[in-house]
Amino acid sequence: MTFRQFAYRNVVRNRRIYAAFFLASVFSVMVFFLYSMLMFHPGIGERFITGITLIGMTAADVVLYVFMLFFLFYSMRAFMQARSGEFALLLQIGMERRQLGKLLLLEMLLLGAASTASGIVLGFAFSKYFFMIVRELLQLPTLPLYVSWEPFLMTAGAFFSLFLLIGLLSAYIVSNRDISEFRKGIGGEADPFGYSPGRAAAGILLLLSSYGAALLAGRVNVLYLSVLLPPAATLGTYYFFSHSILYLLDLFRDQKSLYWKRTRLVSLAETAAKLRDNANMFFIVAIVSTVAFLSVGTLASLATYTAQYRALNPLGLVYESYPGNPHEYEHVTGLMKELENAGLEYTHVPLTVAREESSFSGQPINILREGEVNLLAETLGAGPVQLRPGEAVFLPYSTEAAPRLQDADIQTELEESGVEVHVKGVVGGLLLPAYSLGTNSVVVSETDFVKVASAQTDSLLHIHAFDVPDWEETVGIGLSIEQAMVMSEIQQGEALPYYFKNPGLDYSIIRSTFHLLLLTGLLVAMVFLLAAGSFIYFKLYTMLDRDRRQAAVLKRLGMTEREFIKIVNRQLIPQFFLPWGIAMLHSTFAFISLQAIWKEFADISILNEMALVLVGFTVIQLLYFYLIRWRYLAHVKGPA
Amino acid sequence: MPIVSIEDVIKIYEGKVTHRALDRLSFDVEEGEFLAVMGPSGSGKTTLLNLISGIDMPTSGKVLIKGTDPSALRPDDLARFRRRELGFVFQDFNLLRMLTVEENIVLPLTLDRLPVAEMDARVKAITARLGLEGILHKRPDEISGGQEQRVAIARALVHRPSIVLADEPTGNLDSNAAREVLDLLGTINRENRTTFIMVTHDPIAASYCDRVLFIKDGAYYNEIHKDDRRRTFFQRILNMLSLLGGNVDDLSSVRLP
Repeated sequence: MTFRQFAYRNVVRNRRIYAAFFLASVFSVMVFFLYSMLMFHPGIGERFITGITLIGMTAADVVLYVFMLFFLFYSMRAFMQARSGEFALLLQIGMERRQLGKLLLLEMLLLGAASTASGIVLGFAFSKYFFMIVRELLQLPTLPLYVSWEPFLMTAGAFFSLFLLIGLLSAYIVSNRDISEFRKGIGGEADPFGYSPGRAAAGILLLLSSYGAALLAGRVNVLYLSVLLPPAATLGTYYFFSHSILYLLDLFRDQKSLYWKRTRLVSLAETAAKLRDNANMFFIVAIVSTVAFLSVGTLASLATYTAQYRALNPLGLVYESYPGNPHEYEHVTGLMKELENAGLEYTHVPLTVAREESSFSGQPINILREGEVNLLAETLGAGPVQLRPGEAVFLPYSTEAAPRLQDADIQTELEESGVEVHVKGVVGGLLLPAYSLGTNSVVVSETDFVKVASAQTDSLLHIHAFDVPDWEETVGIGLSIEQAMVMSEIQQGEALPYYFKNPGLDYSIIRSTFHLLLLTGLLVAMVFLLAAGSFIYFKLYTMLDRDRRQAAVLKRLGMTEREFIKIVNRQLIPQFFLPWGIAMLHSTFAFISLQAIWKEFADISILNEMALVLVGFTVIQLLYFYLIRWRYLAHVKGPA
Repeated sequence: MPIVSIEDVIKIYEGKVTHRALDRLSFDVEEGEFLAVMGPSGSGKTTLLNLISGIDMPTSGKVLIKGTDPSALRPDDLARFRRRELGFVFQDFNLLRMLTVEENIVLPLTLDRLPVAEMDARVKAITARLGLEGILHKRPDEISGGQEQRVAIARALVHRPSIVLADEPTGNLDSNAAREVLDLLGTINRENRTTFIMVTHDPIAASYCDRVLFIKDGAYYNEIHKDDRRRTFFQRILNMLSLLGGNVDDLSSVRLP
């Protein structure tokens, strides 16, 4: 047996211990590789694989990398802690510290090489499916598989350097310790049987105040909150697991009537001991899960925005022509021709808009014509308005604005034409989105409109509204106009005398971007969850020997299968659901503040998505719990 | 010249309560001697072994092993010194669970980068001697406690150390397995002239030795030498222990048949 064989056997024969760690690493490498495959895709720059996709992939890769750095470091510490007895023995029988360092480095490199290689192989195997999903999300005609050395080199380089770094670090840590330190156990220096009341109180206070602040979000400065809340909540969580929980248990212990009851005495003491031992792990799992919940939840709430997009954009195409636009006829007929060529049904409703100052508010308002608006309303399936001369109704700019305007009752004079109107009520339904007219529009009767229009024939706006039932199919329509607008924006020349909006095109970009980000976030969250699970799994395994002996004794004492499962449950449930519960609580409050922030500028509700995300994660957590419990029971009951 | 010489060694542990583990202890061990160290719990026996193996440094005084002071060595030289000159046998065997019996035995040689052929030859020789040939490819979990301790002894001897330090080697064994292990240690001591220093609570184990050193509260208390019959030696050890006092629970109540 050579030294290298020794290192190899250490890893391979301890594969049960390393299994979950290995799985999490492999999955992370795989996801990293998939993202890199997309980043280096030769088709990048075409269509939608541009800007935001590239940024999203790069950000996800960076997040994965940084997360893996912490994950590996913490796992390495846990491994070293569990193996400190073994290290003490090796040093005692004459291993040099340098050799011990080399051993750890070799083991880490072995694990690193194996997980990097497996991750890349798996990633390459799945890249075809990944590309299919991405192609579907981005609605690309094709996204061919390609083979190039860049993603391979980048993934292998990134992760191998990571494992090398952690290996060197562990070698360094280990070669600076004495046998006696290993005998005491690494990380065992803090007093395990105590908590500081100050920190216990600080933990609870920090958490409560973070929750309180999250509830007030929207009323307080959002920027302050986003800077202050996460660190406060993180510190609070740390103190909560390392001090507050023990404090709460102590409080419970004082209630002798509750505590000195049947098996509670034992089981509570045992729980307290486990909590103390695993406080750091609980903290990390809770924070990692919170980040996973939040990233998916945030992205899901962005996806909500696309769902409500249609409600905000009832029209297929909108072309606005300002006074003195020479292209109006050419553009509008062009659009019609393009729609016909694409085989899309449409209804064209031209609208005339006058602008005058209102004596009531002193602001310019848009004035639309009853007949034309009714035509548009009919096309969109909304009810018509009936106006007598002197009467007017508001044209709401969003569905949320309608009820507010409904109650308004205003008497005003249109200053230039001198027409007096009484504005009361709204047009049913949203007809024109806010971007086309702004927020201040009224509809007047035919007679009044003629008066207004005759006062200012040369400054009338024309809006060409196209209702297209298959509005998502309009992606290719009006591209030349769109390009002219983009060009003028880039050159910062004179403002164009027209404005064109194709919600179908914007929608497809927004939708695909959000969905791609959601996919990215989901995969990253999966990595987080696997990593969190791997911590729990590892801690369970280091305890396995002791638990197995205990199980054998209990069985001899005549414990039934059901009672045994009950005891195992009592040990596993806190480990699984305590960090999870805290993470749920954190996420819920974070979502509440997120909702408040959304409300500020998009006026949409993310309640359903939040609930869906939290329920989804709960289901996954339950499945995970049963899976681990099944494996754990099999091992505890099985032979050594 | 003695192979181990302890001169006026004091070891003090600083802590919340300062504790004097060894108090001006002096004694010598001759080459080829089988020495037992006895004393009540907390008398400093394990501390003594740690000082000899260089895991701990004395607060004052001198520990010399083959003329070398382990506390004066640099860490790497100390490790090399340990793996060439010292062998260790522990109460709870301390075999590595993931290695087979053979691999456990060969481990000290691996650390010294010996050629594989040489390692094989040495393992073959030692396992034939200890009767371990049949279980070479088993894991420590699959063999009995007595076998485990014999594997641990093989590991302690495979690199031909000049001194073997044993910390309660029979503490976890039943009386049969204990007797086998003690017989084995005695045979190796006689045939190889390997020096043994064994810390023990067990007067039966001590009665296998050439000399028994008694320490109390970290200080030298007394010593007795072997005589012709082990049974009378054993009785003298018991008498000395009762003089020494200490916790009765520490002493084995089993007498030789």
